[in-house]
Amino acid sequence: MEIDSNLIKKTKIASCCFMGLGQVLYLKQYVRGILMMLFEIIMIFCCTPVFNSAIPTALYGVITLGSPKPEGTPIKMLDHSIFMLIEGLFTIIILGIFIILYISQVKTGMKDAERIIKRGRYPTAKEIRNHLATKSFPVLGITPSLLLLSIFTLIPLLFSMLIAFTNYSSPDHIPPKNLVDWVGLSNFTTMFSRNIGGNWPKAFARVAVWTLLWAVLSTFTCFFTGFLFAVILRDKRIQFPKFFRTVFILPYAIPQMLSLFVWANLLNGTFGPINRTLQYWHIIQQGIPWLSNPTVAKLTLVLVNIWIGFPYSMILTTSSMTAISQAQYEAAQIDGASRWQQFIHITLPLVMYQLKPALIMQFAGNINNFGAVFFLTGGGPNLMFGTNNLTISTQAGSTDLLISWIYKLTMNTPNQYQLASVLSILVFIVLVPFALYNFTHTKAFKDGEL
Amino acid sequence: MKEHIEKTNRVSVSVILLTIILMIQVILVLYPLAFTVSASFSDSNSLASTSIVPFKHKFSVFQYQRLFTQTNYFHWYLNTLIIATSNMIITVFVCSLCGYIFSRFTFPFRKPIMASMIILQMFPSFIGMIATYVILWKLNALNTLWGLVLVYSAGSIPFNSWLMKGYFDTIPHDIAEAAYIDGATPLGAFLRVVVPAAKPQIIFLALTSFTGPWMDFIFPRLVLRTDSKKTLAVGLYEMINGRAADHFTMFAAGALLVAIPFTILFVLGQKSLLQSLATTGGKE
Repeated sequence: MEIDSNLIKKTKIASCCFMGLGQVLYLKQYVRGILMMLFEIIMIFCCTPVFNSAIPTALYGVITLGSPKPEGTPIKMLDHSIFMLIEGLFTIIILGIFIILYISQVKTGMKDAERIIKRGRYPTAKEIRNHLATKSFPVLGITPSLLLLSIFTLIPLLFSMLIAFTNYSSPDHIPPKNLVDWVGLSNFTTMFSRNIGGNWPKAFARVAVWTLLWAVLSTFTCFFTGFLFAVILRDKRIQFPKFFRTVFILPYAIPQMLSLFVWANLLNGTFGPINRTLQYWHIIQQGIPWLSNPTVAKLTLVLVNIWIGFPYSMILTTSSMTAISQAQYEAAQIDGASRWQQFIHITLPLVMYQLKPALIMQFAGNINNFGAVFFLTGGGPNLMFGTNNLTISTQAGSTDLLISWIYKLTMNTPNQYQLASVLSILVFIVLVPFALYNFTHTKAFKDGEL
Repeated sequence: MKEHIEKTNRVSVSVILLTIILMIQVILVLYPLAFTVSASFSDSNSLASTSIVPFKHKFSVFQYQRLFTQTNYFHWYLNTLIIATSNMIITVFVCSLCGYIFSRFTFPFRKPIMASMIILQMFPSFIGMIATYVILWKLNALNTLWGLVLVYSAGSIPFNSWLMKGYFDTIPHDIAEAAYIDGATPLGAFLRVVVPAAKPQIIFLALTSFTGPWMDFIFPRLVLRTDSKKTLAVGLYEMINGRAADHFTMFAAGALLVAIPFTILFVLGQKSLLQSLATTGGKE
């Protein structure tokens, strides 16, 4: 069979004109070509009244977020801004896939044509089957996951970013009764500008400072407590190290939420057994306000977090210390180094070096440690600014982290979805350096695979 | 001689000091646990009436009876089990397949897809909870267990796919190729040859994806409405939230029935778990 020498050019032109056309006309890839042509036909129909003009409507909906309807229109007929936004996002993603597919089919079509010319023949049925088996397996295998991911992770994340630029909040902008509108950057000025935002910037500053302080404190206290016990348990003179190790791992095995609930009750100001015990022994006269005084509550959080988190650090440091060779210690002993000097100059730097990535990721995790705060203090007690109770106007408590504040703004009435979104974007930005660090430290990246 | 005695004295002093520190920590670790166990076997309902010395009161299983007769605890337990098991099955299948494909195959947009998965796993998925709620609403999945399973398994794909990819990278390539020569399809080779070779890591994945949903609170609270549909996390939270003083002992009983199987599971899987932690946490 003669191969047309203009095959590449012809395929390119045909595939540019209509997706899959080149594949059907010139490459004898009938199934693939027809599937792609079908996709484009459906997309075209979605732009026409045949399929209710789905694509233009959705895109228009994202821009307007719905238009007001005359008084008395039944609720079902009203424009639902939030649905429109999500449908619009969905459409944009499908359009994106379509465009990427369109470009890539032209490219692969040209490549296939090139191969046909080079070989001087079309691939045999067996070759096609082999090719399909190796090429289509990864695509088919990965597509369901990507679909799930884009529906349940990607769209929600994009959505919550976009909400920051709308006025979606109760009581005046909750669909289906009311419409939501784009408002530009006004939520950001509310949250961050001292002149306009009223109580919000004050609450934000307090919460942001505490979030950072908390992340630093909780990461280091857990790490060094775990490290301390790992070092003590390595001392050969200690009896029953296995017993101690097993007991110390218990807080790690028990679900964190349950431990936090138990601690919240133990530390209950009036009924909690800890205060009652201390009073029984006459160590204190009045109950310690473990969870109800802003400063004490912060301290309590850090302490309880040590209880929950030190076993993990103990495991990490133990395994990292076993990797240090004994020869180094022997050499140090010959030079007359004391135990303390050995620890400071050998153990500490080596362990810190090895666990640096783990520590950095723990720090990022602690910025978002929703559970510790929400289940122990619920963010409370109230955040006071002089005599101004910021909790009433902004819902932020004095132990709230950004992440638990976001949760409260989203779940509690009056819902302030738009401000919660502003904070979400901020959490995003804070996490980017950590994500990049994580990214550049994966083996795949170092091997040049990414 | 005198010098020698002084040295042993000093040594024993520091050992005693260290042992005291260890004992204090043992008490600090065990006290909340002992108090919870003791409270769960008390016949009084409130936190205020619990004895400050654990196990001093009369032994009673009244709280356990209350738990199963006055609340939907059994349903909560069952729902959580169903969600955890489904999540485990889906996650193990989907994420091992993804990890395997990442590790061995080339496909269009491989690099951008894999890179965006690393970035995605950093962000807590509940930031997008409003949209998740609306999407589940549109799918008619509100107040259903399967909706929750979808959210969990989707959320775990980025991290776990990378985890599995890392493991598959260490398995020799020729075992699957031998299966191809025998005429196996890629999926067949994956299921029959590659999966058995990756058994330890797959067990680890199964374990973590089974335990993961047990104590998640945010999504069940968002998605599940009726009391009999609730999971343990939500049920226990609502039992204790606000009226802690009234229900603490019953909560203690409910918490114990969760914590005991977890601790047993942990002890059984300790070796593989700790090993995995040590390698992923320390030596990347």
